[in-house]
Amino acid sequence: MARINQNDLTTDEKRILLALTKVESTSPEKLASLAELNVETAMRSAFLLEQKGFSKIIEKTTEIYSLTPEGILYAEKGLPEQRIIEFMDGKETFLSKLIEVFSDQEAKIALGWLRKKEWASIEKRKDEVIITPLSITRDPQKEILNLLHMKNTDLKRFDPEVIKALLNRNLIVATEKSDRAISLTDEGRRLVARGIEIIEEITQLTPYLIRSGKWKEKHLRAYDVNAPVLEVFGAKEHPYRRLLDQMRKIFLEMGFEEIRGDIVQTSFWNFDALFQPQDHPAREMQDTFYLDSRGDIPMELAQKVKVMHEQGGDIGSTGWGGKWSLELARTEVLRTHTTAITIKHLSDNPDPPVKAFCIGRAYRRETIDSTHLPEFTQLEGVVMDEAVSFKNLLGCLAEFYKRMGFEKLRFRPGYFPYTEPSVEPEVYVEGLGWIELGGAGIFRREVTAPLGIRYPVLAWGLGVGRLAMLRLGLKDLRDLYRSDMDWLWRCPICQW
Amino acid sequence: MPMVTLRYEDLEKLIGTDKNTIIDRMPMIGADVERIDVDHADVEFFPDRPDLFSIEGVARAMRGFLEIETGLSRYDVKSSKVSITIDESIRPIRPHLACAVVRDLHLDSNSIEPLMSLQEHLHWGIGRDRKKVSIGVHDLSKIKPPFLYKAADPNIEFVPLNFDYPLSMRKILEIHPKGFKFAHILDGMKRYPLIVDAADNVLSFPPIINSALTMVTDTTRDLFIEVTGTDASVAIALNIVVTALAERGGKVESVKIFSDGGVRKTPNLSPTIRSLQVKDVNSLLGLDLNAEEIARNLKKMRFGATIHEDEIDVEVPAYRADILHACDLIEDVAIGYGYDRFKPEFPEIATIGKTHCIEDKFELLRDVMIGLGFSEVMTFTLTNEKVHFDDMRRPKVEVTRVKHPISIDQTIVRSSILPSLMEILSLNKHHGLPQKIFEVGEVLLNGKNAQRLACISMHSTANFAEIKSIAESVLREFRTEFTIEEAEDTAFLEGRRARILVDSCNIGVFGEIHPDVILSFGLDQPVVAFELDIS
Repeated sequence: MARINQNDLTTDEKRILLALTKVESTSPEKLASLAELNVETAMRSAFLLEQKGFSKIIEKTTEIYSLTPEGILYAEKGLPEQRIIEFMDGKETFLSKLIEVFSDQEAKIALGWLRKKEWASIEKRKDEVIITPLSITRDPQKEILNLLHMKNTDLKRFDPEVIKALLNRNLIVATEKSDRAISLTDEGRRLVARGIEIIEEITQLTPYLIRSGKWKEKHLRAYDVNAPVLEVFGAKEHPYRRLLDQMRKIFLEMGFEEIRGDIVQTSFWNFDALFQPQDHPAREMQDTFYLDSRGDIPMELAQKVKVMHEQGGDIGSTGWGGKWSLELARTEVLRTHTTAITIKHLSDNPDPPVKAFCIGRAYRRETIDSTHLPEFTQLEGVVMDEAVSFKNLLGCLAEFYKRMGFEKLRFRPGYFPYTEPSVEPEVYVEGLGWIELGGAGIFRREVTAPLGIRYPVLAWGLGVGRLAMLRLGLKDLRDLYRSDMDWLWRCPICQW
Repeated sequence: MPMVTLRYEDLEKLIGTDKNTIIDRMPMIGADVERIDVDHADVEFFPDRPDLFSIEGVARAMRGFLEIETGLSRYDVKSSKVSITIDESIRPIRPHLACAVVRDLHLDSNSIEPLMSLQEHLHWGIGRDRKKVSIGVHDLSKIKPPFLYKAADPNIEFVPLNFDYPLSMRKILEIHPKGFKFAHILDGMKRYPLIVDAADNVLSFPPIINSALTMVTDTTRDLFIEVTGTDASVAIALNIVVTALAERGGKVESVKIFSDGGVRKTPNLSPTIRSLQVKDVNSLLGLDLNAEEIARNLKKMRFGATIHEDEIDVEVPAYRADILHACDLIEDVAIGYGYDRFKPEFPEIATIGKTHCIEDKFELLRDVMIGLGFSEVMTFTLTNEKVHFDDMRRPKVEVTRVKHPISIDQTIVRSSILPSLMEILSLNKHHGLPQKIFEVGEVLLNGKNAQRLACISMHSTANFAEIKSIAESVLREFRTEFTIEEAEDTAFLEGRRARILVDSCNIGVFGEIHPDVILSFGLDQPVVAFELDIS
């Protein structure tokens, strides 16, 4: 251990050291008064000195005795055996006589102790018990009761057996009291011998001390760098925002344009333009939030979409058959996916190349539980250019997921109504295995042809909530939108 | 998605290889293996492939995929003497019909149950819950052709399946479990669909229930299958059922259908022909396959394929419902080739990334608010009138209302963010103070997106001066001239509320939240708030 000199000690510690030189060993209270500190401060410094090897604190526990209610009674009236022996006044007495005068219980207690203390002999003649007094000796039991009754607790001079007997008679009780005795160690004495000087200490720099230069004369109290301080939390972006921003940044770095759009969409943009048949189950009331309103749709385009749905247009498709209804297409919905936004963007920008992405809320009529919400955030990217292919789609996915930190990725066939081929990317997560994370595909010609898009459109998307749960270790998707403040405060910025 | 139960014993017999090979490769034809059990696996297939909704169909596809048997499955269809007439009366109700006879079946409980579940999956996948298509399977030995499909008086009685006494069709819709489940399909009809035999015995009451008479049991050898519906997809549903039974050794026979003075035969199991260009395949997939390789992969997927130089004639099996366009065939080429064999390649297209101006604005505002010590929250845009208006002491105004809410908590889309923030405070009342939160996000005004910033501060000494400082601090960042005047927003305390005007347009409000509002959200600390239109 490096040698400690007096400059490493606080003023309080120095005061304690000096106080301890005045006594051999002392109690905390006495120490505090000697050092002119309060007991708490004195003991904190004493403990610190002990850690440094300058003081020794010995803990002693002592038993403190006090009278029980019965003990108080006997201290005042005298013990039963004593009162009986006094009553007998040196004469032989029948037990029956004693029971008449004293209670049965007291007489019986007294009998036992008269025998034990050898104050009387007891013999049985015929049906009678006869008690014959002997000489009365000094009674330490009585002395203890009297002392305790007078609040004198120093029982050191008594035989422990006597104390035990009183404890057994339930006349006294013992409680433990711990005492500390503080003394200097040899090391401490040597330190004091080298001389201790008490300098005024300051805890807080002030403008005055700085300006006047007086701080140089004072001793700035050193902090214990490991002492706990008040917890504070900085205001931050929502953890989910940081995840969304990470994805947004990836798209921007890869040269994609960010797009946005309205929450309320016509069925036309949400479904029909994506070649979803009008009787498709996803369009039913139980899956989609419909509104009472109807919106306008571009009529020329609507005509082309109608032809595509009914008989497949001129691209060699069979279409869905049946009749396509303009009225149904005009019905407004809360968008069920952000694809309603990307398809509109492509329709407005049919010339290659287009690389765009959209992050936004989507709405589905799902019953709320820990993994489903009627409202969630969706992310979607599209690439349209002359010679892009399925291989390029897989390339986009591989690049995107790699930048998201997923090194292991695999592809499985998937199904989405408006893409063909379709693919389901799966990422490998340590401890969980392969996890399906999103969907992708190339838009069907039935989708692109009516919009005047002549080249393949690669598209992929994912519900970001699932990824967020994975990344943020959430068990319930609702926690993203119904934030617990403590979680927000404590959730570290570094998640990956 | 339909879950198909695949018993290993059956599966291995039908495919001809061990179950581990099968289950291992199955996801790569487009399936989710949901559960692997001791004697069976439960697998989900995509809704565009109803031909995979039966173990027989799965076996047929996997035999091809594992190259145990490739190319088109050809099914013989002999003519039967069975015929059925579509009566004029049914035309306006449920006019489409396709039928078949399948003979020489050896059914047992292991094969009857999958047949029933195939029917149910098809009712869902093709039939739109029986509305569009429904299937009836009957023991042919119990009935006497020719049959008649007609619209009948709802009072006609017969013993429906699972009952032992006769009920009128009207009564069936009321008390039979299938009756009241599907009664809505017949809403408003005066007469109901009915199929009867030569002796006027009822076969079925489509799309509701079959008659008990024709129930299929393990002694049934010959089946009569009828598919009724509202469009031509009855044919594909029939084809899927009969080819599945043919895979079990059943002999398919056609049924004559008389209608409108003409006659036709169903089922038609001959493939349709599509031609596929080699270059189209390669350009869409980004591969460089020759015609032979493409043909081989098509055959793996159970298509017939004949090469004519750069073009392939593809025979599409009569049970495939999903081939609308060449791209559907190309996807199957890709699946046959193996998704795991593609080498992903990022497209080299030179474009410049660009952020959206609204998102840029959001980002700046978040910076300012965080600097001011407010934590960001992200809340639901769906809410309800109680929270949005009543609890906020605000008068009800027009908002976007969803037609069929899923719960009473989510009936409208918000037009203000403040109530969402009050809810967050209410959820966090057990945490320490101060609590300062904000959100930048969207609201709907007249059905259109609008962008808002809202922030809220709750602590024992929160007051008007504090929130005014915050509001002014944010407004300064916009470098616009603004004026502040007293506001009327009843969510705030009178005399402690103000609105912000830019070019005499109201763009925001701030002040001390009304104590009644604070209590409505279960809080008791002073709350000050600020909401700004940033559109």
